[in-house]
Amino acid sequence: MPLEREVYKELESVVGPEHITEEPATLFSYAYQWMAELVPDVSGGGKFFDRPEAVLVPGGVEEVQAIVRLCNRYGLKFHVYSTGWGPWAAPPSGGQILLDLRRMNRILEIDEQNMFAVVEPYVVAAQLQAEAMKRGLNVHISGAGAGTSVLANACCFQGGGPDCIYFDSPQNSILSIEWVMPTGDILRTGSLGSGLGWFCAEGPGPSTQGIIRGALGGSGGWGVVTKIAIRLVHWPGPPVMPIEGTVPAYRTKLPADQFRATFPAFPSWQSFADAIYHIYDSEIGYIAHRQYVMWGDELQAAFLKIVSDPDRQLCDLEELLHMPEIQKLTDEMRRCFQLILVGMTPRDLEYQLKVLDRILEQTGGWNVALVNEPAMQQYVLLYMMRLCFKNLNFTATGGFIDTYNSVASPDIWASGEIEAGKKLLKKYAGRIADAGDQAMGPIAGQGGGGVTGWEDFLFYDPHDPDSVQAAIEVSDEGDRLKAQQGRPPGGMLLGLARTTHTEEKVRAQKLVHAREYQWQRKLKQIFDPNGIGSGNYLWAAEPSTNGEST
Amino acid sequence: MGLEDFKAMVHRCSRCSYCKWIPFAHVKSWRFAKGCPSIEYHSFQSYSASGRLCISLALLEERISCFDEGLPDIVFKCMLDGCCDVACKVCRYDLEPLEVMRNLRFRLIDNGCFPIQDIPLIDNLRKEDNMMMARKADRANWAAGLSLKDLTTEKADVVLHVGCRLSFDEELWRIPQTAVTLLLDAGVDVGILGRDENCCGGRLYDMGYRGEFLKYAENNIDAWRNAGATTVVTTCSDCYHAFKRLYPEELHAPMNVLHITEFLEQLIAKGKIAFKKSLPLKITYHDPCHLGRRGEPYIPWEGRQKKIRGQILVYEPRKPRNNGACGVYDAPRNVLRSIPGIQLFEMERNREFAWCCGAGAGVRERYPEFSFWTAGERIEEAYATGAEALVSACPHCERNFLDALDQRGDSLKVFDVLDLVREAR
Repeated sequence: MPLEREVYKELESVVGPEHITEEPATLFSYAYQWMAELVPDVSGGGKFFDRPEAVLVPGGVEEVQAIVRLCNRYGLKFHVYSTGWGPWAAPPSGGQILLDLRRMNRILEIDEQNMFAVVEPYVVAAQLQAEAMKRGLNVHISGAGAGTSVLANACCFQGGGPDCIYFDSPQNSILSIEWVMPTGDILRTGSLGSGLGWFCAEGPGPSTQGIIRGALGGSGGWGVVTKIAIRLVHWPGPPVMPIEGTVPAYRTKLPADQFRATFPAFPSWQSFADAIYHIYDSEIGYIAHRQYVMWGDELQAAFLKIVSDPDRQLCDLEELLHMPEIQKLTDEMRRCFQLILVGMTPRDLEYQLKVLDRILEQTGGWNVALVNEPAMQQYVLLYMMRLCFKNLNFTATGGFIDTYNSVASPDIWASGEIEAGKKLLKKYAGRIADAGDQAMGPIAGQGGGGVTGWEDFLFYDPHDPDSVQAAIEVSDEGDRLKAQQGRPPGGMLLGLARTTHTEEKVRAQKLVHAREYQWQRKLKQIFDPNGIGSGNYLWAAEPSTNGEST
Repeated sequence: MGLEDFKAMVHRCSRCSYCKWIPFAHVKSWRFAKGCPSIEYHSFQSYSASGRLCISLALLEERISCFDEGLPDIVFKCMLDGCCDVACKVCRYDLEPLEVMRNLRFRLIDNGCFPIQDIPLIDNLRKEDNMMMARKADRANWAAGLSLKDLTTEKADVVLHVGCRLSFDEELWRIPQTAVTLLLDAGVDVGILGRDENCCGGRLYDMGYRGEFLKYAENNIDAWRNAGATTVVTTCSDCYHAFKRLYPEELHAPMNVLHITEFLEQLIAKGKIAFKKSLPLKITYHDPCHLGRRGEPYIPWEGRQKKIRGQILVYEPRKPRNNGACGVYDAPRNVLRSIPGIQLFEMERNREFAWCCGAGAGVRERYPEFSFWTAGERIEEAYATGAEALVSACPHCERNFLDALDQRGDSLKVFDVLDLVREAR
């Protein structure tokens, strides 16, 4: 239903006529999202979720606050996004306005001595990393890649990624925050709240880090975080990453005495898990991730050959898979991960390499020789350091989800869950891509290690209704298998898509056992008394004990 | 192909926003990380490549209509410069965002939904065969006094096509005049079609007027054949793109086409052009979109998309990728580097991910404010290199930079590659 003219006029007076629209084509461009076809109750199996009633592009915190206050006055729900990638970025239901924060795009400060940066929502990781590197610093990049918002990944969504072993998880890197609360009040947290600058999350001002962030972040339904300070880490490389190679196979040539990409590989899952413990214990590594298996353990070697060579294409896949050297490589890489070692000095790297050699010796593992080829070394370093190729997730078929995820201590790798996930995917092979084990994920989900896990990728074709249906079936079956083990659902992405866009009652039933969300719902009632923050998976109605919505 | 043929492709867009940025590998700063002028200027998602793909799908599913009031602005406020296409294809092997956007334009124009600003432009074009609101009779004035073959009556190996901008923009006449001098001095058998030279049609095509484009393309090909020319050399990057890519694609008429900088590079390598003077000048080079990423040669392909390993999408046989890898980037740089005294500084966004000048696809004519803002962004980037002059190889880029500088009250020098070659001889 279109906005009342009076409401529209007032919103327009806040942002100016050029930054608000109800133009139908534009509204549809905000309703289109990856995975919409997997939520047919809402999308009818197509690519569009519900349209917003209007889109606003505010230019700063004052405008955001004025909009939120108007929403409270008129009982108008609003949804908010920064870079806007994923089904949680589309408004969860009709009748809402959407705030696109792309004009709030500044890096406000990089404090070199205290090693943090202050950013607005539309600063993407590639930008902040480039500026930080000029100052000998680096920033965590979410697993979603260099094109996603630093602020949103830290405060509003999951945000983890391959570099947590050294950089720590993004939620642990948040310092002070400026938050336009759902009431329209502005809360400045940590040291900022006492007017002492951005350097500290926990005071001397108020600390609401856990409230703002929660388990997975508010995903656009929990006020608007307009600025954050984020912790930076050391970068011992050049101020600008030197890029070589022909599009799309770009590479970076970093000093070999301080940077080394490795592919530790193992004869069994137990030795794989043991090696992870050793890595935690020895505190080596800058980035550690099982990355390229996203293409499947049967295809990763061939895919890597394709994407790192500008002259190759996907049609080369079959030919490559028949080549004996690729078959050998496929076997060598089956239980491997990517470990990037960065020495703050050449001696530091020398030490880390010796430690890795020792770990491989103890576990019977090996470093896959492919990564020592100069061009591959440079490609992998760029890929992992900048995460600039993350949309390769979509290369095979145009669509992917995760299905049978696990997060736990390293022993999980040897628990049989990898094989179970592979078996599940194989059952549907043909209707989805037949690629094998696609368990991609972080070797360490937090600083120094302690937790690891994976997402079982699944490649489906969004244009093929049967493939779409198969993706849904795999996800449902995976969730059933997990439930039989008394474990939470495996598929995060589709789970979030469904719970964001289904009705509140359905959502409440789905989340009845998720205690962290129940806790967050109670906070929501306090902080958003008028309920104007958009509904999504966090904000389901309070479920009763029998699963009925109350 | 029509817009309907891209439906599967549009379903497979992941809306990742790569199309809004330069390839992330190449981001060197906060300031110059963006790749798409359209969304940077207009802010809403619909003004990006992925937004326009969504709109195409909404149109195909009849959720919106060609006749919706705001639609033409969204569709046409874009230079079709193609940086989005390059950035998308860093990871995607099966998407052609530029093709979809072009077909969206054809759809609107075919339905009579064009920006009102086009009316005088197209009227004049139909009468005078040029895009410059000028008289056809004046087309060859730039060549007055030059001893050149008239290819309407004579034959030559090489036809020099200077294009609409250089034929009628008097301030830039020095560029084709220099080209003629260089070619004749090097002993090249060259001529022009004079007042019978036609618009190349390339800009029309990008604006959505495919039918008009085809008419001019056929006329030009006939004229060249009648002149016995084996090679077409052009001083304009827009024309180069039309001849190199669009003519073979739309009319299956392959020609030996060279941009003047490619021809000069060959002449310099053969020692037919030598430099006597040093030009102590710090310059930066702007890659014209139509010479760079969009100037890749057209390679015919017939085949199909099929699935292997269940759902993995591949082309059979191998389909040529147009991802900017094979554009003309080195020839102008090699010419510039061969000039004594010149110091060439690269802008952060260069080669296949260069920022557009703002003049393309009718934007200068339809939306001058947006066009000059885009040029201004490039001028800022040029200043950031410390260069004293901005050099390009396309008269449309040069004109847009000159006018934007004039509007800003700025004094950065703007040259064509040919200007520096002339000065150093």
